[in-house]
Amino acid sequence: MRAMIKNGIGLFSPQGFLDGNNSASFLSIEDIEITLDLNADMILVSLKKVIFFNKNGLDVFVKLFSKVKKKKGIAVGFCDYDTKKFTAISKFYSTKMDFSLFKSYDIASLFSNSFKNKNKNVLVYSSDRSQRTAMAIELHDFGHNPVVCQTFKEFQEKSSNSTAYDNIIDDTFIGQMGQKIATRVAGNAIIYSVSAFLDTEIANSFNIAYHNNSLNVGFRLFIFDAYKVISMNIHALNFFSKLSTSAAEYNATICFVGLDFTKIPVSFKETMEDSGMLFYKQMDDILLNKELLKELGASSAANIKNQRVIDKAIVAKLPNFIEATVATIEMMTNSKAKKEAVEVNKIEIKEKDDRIASSIGFYGDIDGMVILVFPTKIAKKACELLIGESTDDMELILDTLAELVNIVGGKIKSLLGDHGVTVNITLPRTYQSIDGLLEVIENKKGVQVDLIFDNDKFLFFLTK
Amino acid sequence: MITNKMIDNFIDKIPPRPEILQDTIRLLNDGNLTKAAKTAEQDLALKGYLSSLVNKPLYGFKTEVSNIGQIFGILGLTGSQQTVYNYMLSLLCPKKWVLFNLNENSFHDLQINLSIHWKKILEHLNIKDKEIESAITLLPASIIVSEALFSTKKKDVELLRSVNALDYNTILVKLCNTSLFNICKTIATKWDMSEQIQQIVYASSGLNPSKDEQIDTLAKWMHLLLFYELSQPMFVKAGLNDFIDFQLEYVQDIYEDFAKVMDL
Repeated sequence: MRAMIKNGIGLFSPQGFLDGNNSASFLSIEDIEITLDLNADMILVSLKKVIFFNKNGLDVFVKLFSKVKKKKGIAVGFCDYDTKKFTAISKFYSTKMDFSLFKSYDIASLFSNSFKNKNKNVLVYSSDRSQRTAMAIELHDFGHNPVVCQTFKEFQEKSSNSTAYDNIIDDTFIGQMGQKIATRVAGNAIIYSVSAFLDTEIANSFNIAYHNNSLNVGFRLFIFDAYKVISMNIHALNFFSKLSTSAAEYNATICFVGLDFTKIPVSFKETMEDSGMLFYKQMDDILLNKELLKELGASSAANIKNQRVIDKAIVAKLPNFIEATVATIEMMTNSKAKKEAVEVNKIEIKEKDDRIASSIGFYGDIDGMVILVFPTKIAKKACELLIGESTDDMELILDTLAELVNIVGGKIKSLLGDHGVTVNITLPRTYQSIDGLLEVIENKKGVQVDLIFDNDKFLFFLTK
Repeated sequence: MITNKMIDNFIDKIPPRPEILQDTIRLLNDGNLTKAAKTAEQDLALKGYLSSLVNKPLYGFKTEVSNIGQIFGILGLTGSQQTVYNYMLSLLCPKKWVLFNLNENSFHDLQINLSIHWKKILEHLNIKDKEIESAITLLPASIIVSEALFSTKKKDVELLRSVNALDYNTILVKLCNTSLFNICKTIATKWDMSEQIQQIVYASSGLNPSKDEQIDTLAKWMHLLLFYELSQPMFVKAGLNDFIDFQLEYVQDIYEDFAKVMDL
């Protein structure tokens, strides 16, 4: 079964009946691995459309969860259930439950690294005191504002005022959360989340290939979200020093946010500073400071030392890129595309108004970046199928556009794979204004293809 | 991706009910089992289909039954009509399944499982109606239609579904403003299947409840039965479990009864 991936959560949704005979047919370790390759940092099985399950049925999933958690260090569990199902699962696994239960997908998202810092007001209740505390700590760490109810009566009273909270959490159980170093993109910065005691294990849990290729495709600012780090040893220090040295070759910056040095030797801090790492107290100190972002290289690609140029290998694959893009936009808009012009040069966007853009990087046998510039009208139409209705909510459109570009990236990966070219894709970026996009790619040479969808101009740009 | 023109092309390609089948069904409707068997004998493919059906272990015959008269006798009037409808539907199946991991045998198994369990359900509901018994035969048409429309777009659909949990029916409704179950109705009309059959199957999507209480109740049982079958390992592996959306709330009130009938 294929998972849907949203907000870093890989969601499997079996339907109907789950028992010991059929559960293994719904989910295999290969299904989970494919999902993890697509940057999921939490694996959940939705019980929303399951009308019957028994312990034998769930055991198959629980065994898989256990394997995956051990191997990949990610959060795993079930979601989308009612109180009856929650009670049944809690009873089945009353002696040992090392997975999580989230009443809904939305509640699970609050605990996802890809949905951090949304500042949601969350009402929390669990009859288990340690669970209440664990949820509150996690929610706080994930950038939300938890309000914990100590009694069921208090919960009933507070939850009756549904408009006071963005989310209400009950019938939820937090198992051991993920240990994988989660990755997300904010603006043009890549943020890694690290926690607990950092030791030699960091080299295993950090996706170095992803990091190197993010450097390759032009990311210049890497932030370690280290609020939850207790301390580190010499192995972790060496790891960060090496990382910083390799980043320097690309003129990239590595920052730490929220790292508390009370339990870390002073000499470590000095070594890190000598390696060029920077330290900030709050994430917003960086992300909300445009001047600083510019200085750190997150809003411009102009400071790239080794300006990479588009090469023959990548141009040879241009038809695959175009096919993937056109087929996806055609599929989403149910309209036909017409190719107008192809040119190798710096990107040229004649009309900047009413345009939004998105980019996605790819790396592997070949590497580069695809940029798509949409007329807002086409973007809205293309996203309609994913949203389920038409909307003018620009934040929602941009989020959905990122999903759509993810589909394009997936299709590129698959088409290149058919031709024996293996690539992986990065997380997509979106740009609400063309000026924002130009700040990043203005000086890059690439192949520009002008396309027409429903009499509207759509721009495709392939660069390195 | 999918256009109304493609749907029209698919419908245009559905052959009219072959003459032999028309006559067989008419004779079965008249209750003339012997003449119906003689007519059916002329269609060798139908004969092979019927023979392979009753010789499945499910029927438990020790020696092979190949005489159509005998087979119709075993199946009875309603069972025979149902089987001829199942055969008609199998004529629409692709030679090679692409979207779903099915083959002639597994699709045949699905048809048989649905028919046997539907019979059990109707016995529980105390319904003896030839048309209602045969209604189940139209249900798998939704699978054939999905295969026909989406098989060339398999990778596109997989990518789309990786970011949004859309079933084939929803995709079709959003793109073409028609549903798989609407297309099933069109097939039924083309094959002169009764209005009652069409209404039950249309409502069994769980998205368009019928105002007729009996039809709606039957549609609920049919919807739940479909997902009971699509939860079997063979059909989960075939990729059928989530080809349409299971409407859990729609069937909630009959679930306890269903569990008893199916010995869950």
